[in-house]
Amino acid sequence: MIYLAWLIPVVPFVSFLCLLWMRKAARSLASWFAVAASAITFGLTLAVFFASFQQGTFTQEWSWLTIGSIDITFGVLLNPLNSLMLLLVSFISFLIHVYSMGYMKGDSRISVYYGYLGLFTSAMLGLVLSPNLLQFYMFWELVGLGSFLLIGFYFYKNSAKQAAKKAFIMTRIGDVGLLIGLILLFWQTNSLRFTDIYTSITAGQVEAGMVTLIAILIFIGAIGKSGQFPLHTWLPDAMEGPTPVSALIHAATMVAAGVYLVAVMYPLYMASAIALTVVACVGAFTAIYAATIGLVQNDIKQVLAYSTISQLGYMMLAMGVLGYTAGVFHLFTHAFFKALLFLAAGSVIHALHTQNIKEMGGLNKKLKVTSFSFLVGALAISGFPLLSGFFSKEEILAAVWADGQYVLFFVALGAAFLTSLYMFRLYFLVFRGEPKKSLDHIQEAPIGMKATMVVLAIFALGIGYVNTPWFGTFLGDWLTEGASFLTGGHHSSPVWIMLAATIVSLGGIALAYYIYEGKKVDQGNWKQSFSGTYRMLSRNYYIDEFYELTFVKGTRGLGMAFHYIEMYVVSGMMDMIQGFFFSIGKTGSKTQNGQTQTYGAVAFLGLVLFMAFYIWKGGY
Amino acid sequence: MGLLSFLVFSPLIGFIVFCFIPKKEQTFIRNSAVVLHALPLLASGLVLFQFLDHASLAEKINWITFEIGEKVLGLHFELDVDGFSLVLILLTTLIGFLAVITSTWHINKDNRLFYQLMFLLQMGILGVFAADNLFLFFIFFEITLVPMFFLISKWGGTDREEAAFRYVIYNGLGSMILLIGIAAIFVLAGSTNYAEVQHYFAENGNPTLQLGLAFAFLLAFGIKLPIFPFHSWMVKVHVHAPPAVVMIHAGVLLKIGAYGLIKFGVGFFPDAFDSLAILIAVLGLFNLLYGAYLAFVQEDLRSVFAYSSISHMGIVLLGVSALNTAGIQGAIFQSVSHGLIAAMLFFLVGSLLARTNTTLLKKLSGLARLTPLLAGFFLAAALANLGLPGMSGFVSEFTVFLGIFKEMPILAAIGTLGIIMTVVYMLRAILNMTYGTYKSTYGEVQDLKASEVVPAVVLLICIIGIGVYPNAIGHMLQLTIETILGIGG
Repeated sequence: MIYLAWLIPVVPFVSFLCLLWMRKAARSLASWFAVAASAITFGLTLAVFFASFQQGTFTQEWSWLTIGSIDITFGVLLNPLNSLMLLLVSFISFLIHVYSMGYMKGDSRISVYYGYLGLFTSAMLGLVLSPNLLQFYMFWELVGLGSFLLIGFYFYKNSAKQAAKKAFIMTRIGDVGLLIGLILLFWQTNSLRFTDIYTSITAGQVEAGMVTLIAILIFIGAIGKSGQFPLHTWLPDAMEGPTPVSALIHAATMVAAGVYLVAVMYPLYMASAIALTVVACVGAFTAIYAATIGLVQNDIKQVLAYSTISQLGYMMLAMGVLGYTAGVFHLFTHAFFKALLFLAAGSVIHALHTQNIKEMGGLNKKLKVTSFSFLVGALAISGFPLLSGFFSKEEILAAVWADGQYVLFFVALGAAFLTSLYMFRLYFLVFRGEPKKSLDHIQEAPIGMKATMVVLAIFALGIGYVNTPWFGTFLGDWLTEGASFLTGGHHSSPVWIMLAATIVSLGGIALAYYIYEGKKVDQGNWKQSFSGTYRMLSRNYYIDEFYELTFVKGTRGLGMAFHYIEMYVVSGMMDMIQGFFFSIGKTGSKTQNGQTQTYGAVAFLGLVLFMAFYIWKGGY
Repeated sequence: MGLLSFLVFSPLIGFIVFCFIPKKEQTFIRNSAVVLHALPLLASGLVLFQFLDHASLAEKINWITFEIGEKVLGLHFELDVDGFSLVLILLTTLIGFLAVITSTWHINKDNRLFYQLMFLLQMGILGVFAADNLFLFFIFFEITLVPMFFLISKWGGTDREEAAFRYVIYNGLGSMILLIGIAAIFVLAGSTNYAEVQHYFAENGNPTLQLGLAFAFLLAFGIKLPIFPFHSWMVKVHVHAPPAVVMIHAGVLLKIGAYGLIKFGVGFFPDAFDSLAILIAVLGLFNLLYGAYLAFVQEDLRSVFAYSSISHMGIVLLGVSALNTAGIQGAIFQSVSHGLIAAMLFFLVGSLLARTNTTLLKKLSGLARLTPLLAGFFLAAALANLGLPGMSGFVSEFTVFLGIFKEMPILAAIGTLGIIMTVVYMLRAILNMTYGTYKSTYGEVQDLKASEVVPAVVLLICIIGIGVYPNAIGHMLQLTIETILGIGG
């Protein structure tokens, strides 16, 4: 079975080709076809997962590009980390496929939608299976393509066009960092195979400065993909895509690929304390920075987008403080509860046709399943005791403390507090209180959408138990077993950290209740007195405006400068050359004046010259 | 007559047949043009099989010999192919064939003459790549200039005469320098056969002289490639020549520049090129960024693609300047890849022009609504052009950067800015045109017909084929690159 691992990304890719080829003809069957393909993919993944569970690490490679004595290969690799990711990706992709049947019903371009979804799934699975950094990079760009196509799915909307373009460019900036990093790494280790890289790095064959440089360059790639500061601005805009896409790509899988990249290249980071610190600081800063913005957004998907950025920062922070297991664990739990939150939000949007939370309210009476699912997701992400997010967050906090990064610890605690605050602001405003509009015509989502939400809710409730201090650290043990470079396993954390995390989480929920449910605070008054701060937060700290003024204008300015060089300098020179040939022609034609005297004179002059030359050389 | 001679002169059959077809038989002319252009395509396929079979394809007919003192100098009719030239020959016959198919839809004036010139052009290009000595190379090189001049000046757009004029002046200048270089080599080495010339300069020749010759070749082929500041002719041709002709111009003709630089420049004068490496790298970097930034501010789709070509030729130069296996292989890959992509882009431009009658970006918007196929292919070509993995552009860019990072890391790092800029300008141009709200200024346009999809699909399959399995070409090139770099040979 394990030899069929290469088929896993091929199946959704074939589905992509078929759906694009047939397009209109397949409209009525497109969703069934795509769901079947993703079910097959998931089935294959399960089979391969269990096979790799028994057999351990597995590699298969084919020659791809020969450059002189260099041989670059293509293939598949299975180890604990990536078979876990494989399972996660194909499972959530399958659920999203099912959910989309209801959500995208009636869309005239549904075959294209499912085609793109297949392309993305295929690329993401290919990325996870990569045995070397170049193949990883290639699929890394291809998942970006899937993301780009789906963000711009509603291509006729100008905002979607801009968002898609922005996502591609911003992530490309990060990708260039990764590309430089991988090329430098290649010339250091003479291989791009992960196992060879690990060996060279752990054996200390690469000098320390170079390791740091490469690690940071590769991290720039992760910054771009995982929406970390300062390359995060594309992710909120990416919410222009259909909501199931936001759940799959911009919450559960692709954006987590940056964290996954750091996990895959972990030996490199372990070899450089500076690089680790950079990762931790960027992560912690992003976590709290995005959380503050999430507090004031009024678009339900925007809040979730900033929440995703913040949670990804959390994972990065874990990676940066040697909390490898904690980071991967949080990636895992986050995928479930954030996908759940997005799907619940999608269900709300599907029912109300608006994304503005100021126009919502009291939905728990009508949308019971959605409301329950959202509550579970919100509790999980807030780190409510005994839900999945609780365990993974606690593990991260413990790792930060154990690494001695006390400042970052309190930053992380602050971010956790803000997380439960903005999540429950969302919950209370959307599902509780009085409806802003009549809810008579509002209907709960169709069965397919409800079923997926319930499945995800169950996972969001229970998935944390794969790695708890009380019932065993299965996940941690398994990951450590597969990665020999990891030294310590689980941190035995002090009990007070768990207590602190709980207090912070409950505190945030309580404050949200106090403000938004209890209406104990005059919000209008607040906005007045903190108008500057409010505007700054709601405008994302003016980062977009800053980029517009500097990079966008700068690029255009340089382009125009070259344009003037082209117009005046280059074409001036052009005219000179042209003029030169013209004048030769003119002079030449003047000699053809029909006067025999002139011809005679020229001929005589020529003869003289020949004679002179002949005499000078003394015969030939 | 050998297979290679047949390949090179097969377009001549079409030329002669066309002399006897009455001008009025429009449909017949179009159909037979396509059929007759399939001849070189088939012949090149046979050549490929022979080559893969390791059969010798070399041909030699003694032509001119003269004695000066004790030296016997000869100019002969010699043809041969190696991996590099064969790949370019296949590119030529494929793109030539597709360009003729495209022409049958878009060219409505003086059909017979048009296709006759296309036949001549095809013969010239095939000769350039199949020649095995510099003298023959030069003759065929000159043959390409003449039909191209008429194709631009007679069938081009608004500014066609100016474009044709610039084309001839710049290329004439390049030819002059090339001729001087070739003459000097002939006098020194007593032969113009590639292998003999390479052998001669490996043993003799003083460094200054070699440097001078290397510089002459750099200049001559730099104009063709083109290198800044000799590029303005090429922008004119891109914008004002008929799109079907630009498919050949951008797809194949510019590659003669890369071919000459690598095969003659690097091949004959490796030491001189080594000392010129920094210069070439800086020129390449400048081409790459200058073209990219200019492409970003263009208002006409065709100018965007023209500057994009300049930018991508900068990558060829960067690869050449690396002077290692990866760099040279990357430069060759980039030549082939850009040929396919440029041909696809200009095929699509032709289809677009036939529908909207304009390529001005501000007049185009939301095309994906009515013409999803055309928009989809434009997007695919744009993605190929910006070096998306899984397509040929990525392989070439990666290989070039792999090579150049080893030799000049700082310069290469600056060059990666170009990788970002291609995304910026390609997406700006393509999304402006295909995404957004539909503007109905050009009425209800029809999407691509089933037959019109064929050239785009063929090119896309080649682009993706190379991107997914680059060794398909890579294996053919290994020996050639070793010969060029003088490794083991």
